[in-house]
Amino acid sequence: MMDSIAQKEFVSTLRDRRFAVLSVLVLALLLAATLVGRASYRTLQQERQLAQGTVNEQFRNQPARHPHRVAHYGSFAFRPKSGLSLLDTGVDSFTGSAVYLEAHQQNSVNFSQAQQSGSLLRFGEMTVAFVLQLLVPLLIIFLCFGAFTQERETGTLKLLLSQGVTLRQVAWGKIWGYSQAVALVVTPALALAAALLFTGEEFSSGVDLVARLTLFVLGYGVYFFLIVVGAVVVSAKQASSRAALVTLLGFWILGCIILPKATANLGASLYPTTTKAQMDAEVHEEAQHGINGHDPQDKRSAELKAALLKKYGVDTEEKLPVSLAGLQMAAGEEYSAKVYQQHFAALNATYERQNRLSDWAGLLNPYQAIRPLSMGLAGSDFAHYVHFQQAAETYRYNLVQRLNQLQADMGYGDKERRLDASTWRQLPVFTYQAPPLRWVLPQLLLPIMALLLWAGLLSWLGLRLISKTPVA
Amino acid sequence: MRNFWILFSYEGRHFRAAKGLVLLCCLLLATGLYGIYYGTTEIERQRQHLATLPELTRRNVEELKVKFPGPADAGDIGYYHTTFAVHHPDPWAALSLGLRDVNPSYVKLRLLGLQNQLYAADNTNPMKVLSGNFDLAFVLVYLFPLLIIALSFNLLSSEREEGILVLLLAQPVGPATVVGAKLAFRISVVLGLALALSVVGMLWAQVPLDMRVVAWLVLTILYCLFWFGVALVVTALQRTSAVNAVTLLGVWLVLVVLVPSLLNLGVAAARPVPQGIELTIKQREEIHAGWDRPKAQTMNRFFALYPQWRDTTSIRERFVWRWYYAFQHLGDQAVAPQAAAYAHRLQQRYDLVEQLNLLSPAINAQSSFNALAGTDLPTHLQFQRSAARFHDSLRAFYYPFLFRKVEFTHADYAREPTHTFTSQPELGTAYGGLVKLLLSVAAMYALGAGLLRLRPISPR
Repeated sequence: MMDSIAQKEFVSTLRDRRFAVLSVLVLALLLAATLVGRASYRTLQQERQLAQGTVNEQFRNQPARHPHRVAHYGSFAFRPKSGLSLLDTGVDSFTGSAVYLEAHQQNSVNFSQAQQSGSLLRFGEMTVAFVLQLLVPLLIIFLCFGAFTQERETGTLKLLLSQGVTLRQVAWGKIWGYSQAVALVVTPALALAAALLFTGEEFSSGVDLVARLTLFVLGYGVYFFLIVVGAVVVSAKQASSRAALVTLLGFWILGCIILPKATANLGASLYPTTTKAQMDAEVHEEAQHGINGHDPQDKRSAELKAALLKKYGVDTEEKLPVSLAGLQMAAGEEYSAKVYQQHFAALNATYERQNRLSDWAGLLNPYQAIRPLSMGLAGSDFAHYVHFQQAAETYRYNLVQRLNQLQADMGYGDKERRLDASTWRQLPVFTYQAPPLRWVLPQLLLPIMALLLWAGLLSWLGLRLISKTPVA
Repeated sequence: MRNFWILFSYEGRHFRAAKGLVLLCCLLLATGLYGIYYGTTEIERQRQHLATLPELTRRNVEELKVKFPGPADAGDIGYYHTTFAVHHPDPWAALSLGLRDVNPSYVKLRLLGLQNQLYAADNTNPMKVLSGNFDLAFVLVYLFPLLIIALSFNLLSSEREEGILVLLLAQPVGPATVVGAKLAFRISVVLGLALALSVVGMLWAQVPLDMRVVAWLVLTILYCLFWFGVALVVTALQRTSAVNAVTLLGVWLVLVVLVPSLLNLGVAAARPVPQGIELTIKQREEIHAGWDRPKAQTMNRFFALYPQWRDTTSIRERFVWRWYYAFQHLGDQAVAPQAAAYAHRLQQRYDLVEQLNLLSPAINAQSSFNALAGTDLPTHLQFQRSAARFHDSLRAFYYPFLFRKVEFTHADYAREPTHTFTSQPELGTAYGGLVKLLLSVAAMYALGAGLLRLRPISPR
């Protein structure tokens, strides 16, 4: 009986012209978003690969220079796009794409997409995730709002129950029928996306990508399922179709438009951060005067010199086999990088505190659970961005320290000399490896839990509510 | 006319009895107040941040005075001294934050090449920027249409569905009066709310009393009237309440969500922006090549631009600052065409959106609000130009020290130029938006009236 109810809902949905129009629209948007996402992914990826290649070549082809000149010449790190980001661009449009790596300072990641477009971008970007997270739920609402109210209004619910089925079975039948209809709309687009992902030569179709895509699909499956169940429950509890529709649309507006913005803004108000200028000044000050005012830089330099003279058993800098300036530079870099790391960690901790409000709101609002899950799996969330920043800083630090070591090995009077052009070819260039799924999974536990909790609670509590609902 | 007012006052009683609608209006009032609160605190925070910058410069000068106790080479000072070009918000920015969270509100400057300093980003939380600003403009542009939809989706249909419309039209009133009175009551509620919020926002943000007050209020009124126009058109189609609700929400979705995101894609494709990073890479190459080129070559190229320093002595030393700053500036010069093209392309992209925003009054209203508040891309580009001029004035200040070999004394710090820039409203854009909005409103009401004439209201 449940199967035939499901069958009936599925078939009558397909026959409904309004549904046909809406679903064709959503499907078209999904397919378009996939293709556009892929095109923009390719453009950005190519631009960045090309730029990275250019700066790498420039670095390797430098003439004979003093190593500290090379440290100031520096390099650039470009952030490659992650494969799945063509489905969900996450925060990518609002984060910079390139960072200049040089001695003595940590620069900001510059040139974000958002800075290159007007306020139009703030209305939202047409991506697959955007359609799946915001528009498909609307489609589901239009599909399901009359699930029970219509049966009641036309008096068919009584007839149905007289056949010996329970309300609960009717509800499950409807949920199953609607789920099939939703799957029919969403699956082709996801299949196309998967095909594009795994056939494009630019993607390494590894196990990691398969696992990410699988979880991505499963996550959205649960998300759609819980919205179908929720809509059916609301439909059962409301007196009229109109009331059910208005209630559901109200939930959609609250959950998809108002709450995400409100929580993000509230988080930022609650946990203020400092500007980059302020942070850089503090890093500089602490590096100069020592953390907590202990051992200032002059004192550290003098101690280093004394220790070196003692180590090599000589009395003047000229007699040292190493360049004092190079070693002092290395010590200074080590110290200031340590200070910077503390400040950077504190800044990110504050950002995470700001975002936590939104993460926990996922327990109240499924949209705020699927959003972090989706962009986390797509590799376009805040954590992945920080990972890139860390990788770029690690590379910068190692590069500068290698150059300082080269300078130190030149011995006294290094300033008058240069190192051979071939030296720069032996230094590694920046390559970025995005973190594997198992790195990001722990951070996604909360949204996964929230989604499962919603699905479970709605199936259990919601269906209990339905079984107690009046028939006429 | 009397009938109109009777109907109008009965709508009022009806409205007060419908607890849900009153609650909805109160909710929107609360979100509007939160939007104003958020906008003003956000701008206040930015002001506080900007206020700390002179202190940072002062501390930097203190440090330099210790480092160089006596008269110093101005080259050393120029290298270690940092100062800031600051972009102060206009008080109106609190009502429409625009891109003030995306674009940095200051640029840290040293005497070195400008182009690799000009595009530095500030610390931002990308998750927050992605979610967007909850300011008054958001409430007006996004949420007010939803209130209007909630109030008017069943303008006539509920009366018809409940069988009241037959009775009503049996009285000596025309359907036009009924629709007019119902619409007029809802318009007065919504406009009352929108204007009250706007006035509270203006007082809270302490905006200067100029033409922009009128422009903002007219924009708000027109934008709300546009959505009532849409409701009128949908009412004129005479479908059921559920169909009306779905249709109106569909229109909202198309105009507020779909058109902007599709337009964004289209504009990005039609007006590609050359990568800003390319010019910083090229500038770095130029500057660092300066070290390896013969000094006379560098200086001659520099003197071609600044003949007034031509008579300074030729350089024999391994390193002098005036040579160093000469090739820093030549690096900027080498990428000047790219830098101009980059800014120009960004402006073109913005202009194209301005031309196309007739497609969606929501985009139009948003960019007009931003233009009034001076928080959109053109203002930021203006600020960047202003920062570039400040960098020019810094160079003009330091060059006499460098080329005439004048020693830099402690008193000279105070003579260094400083920078300030306050957002200017883009009044042209705002007034243009107003006219376009007026056109949209006129089109909607003409369509609604036409439809009503074509198919008179049927009581059943």
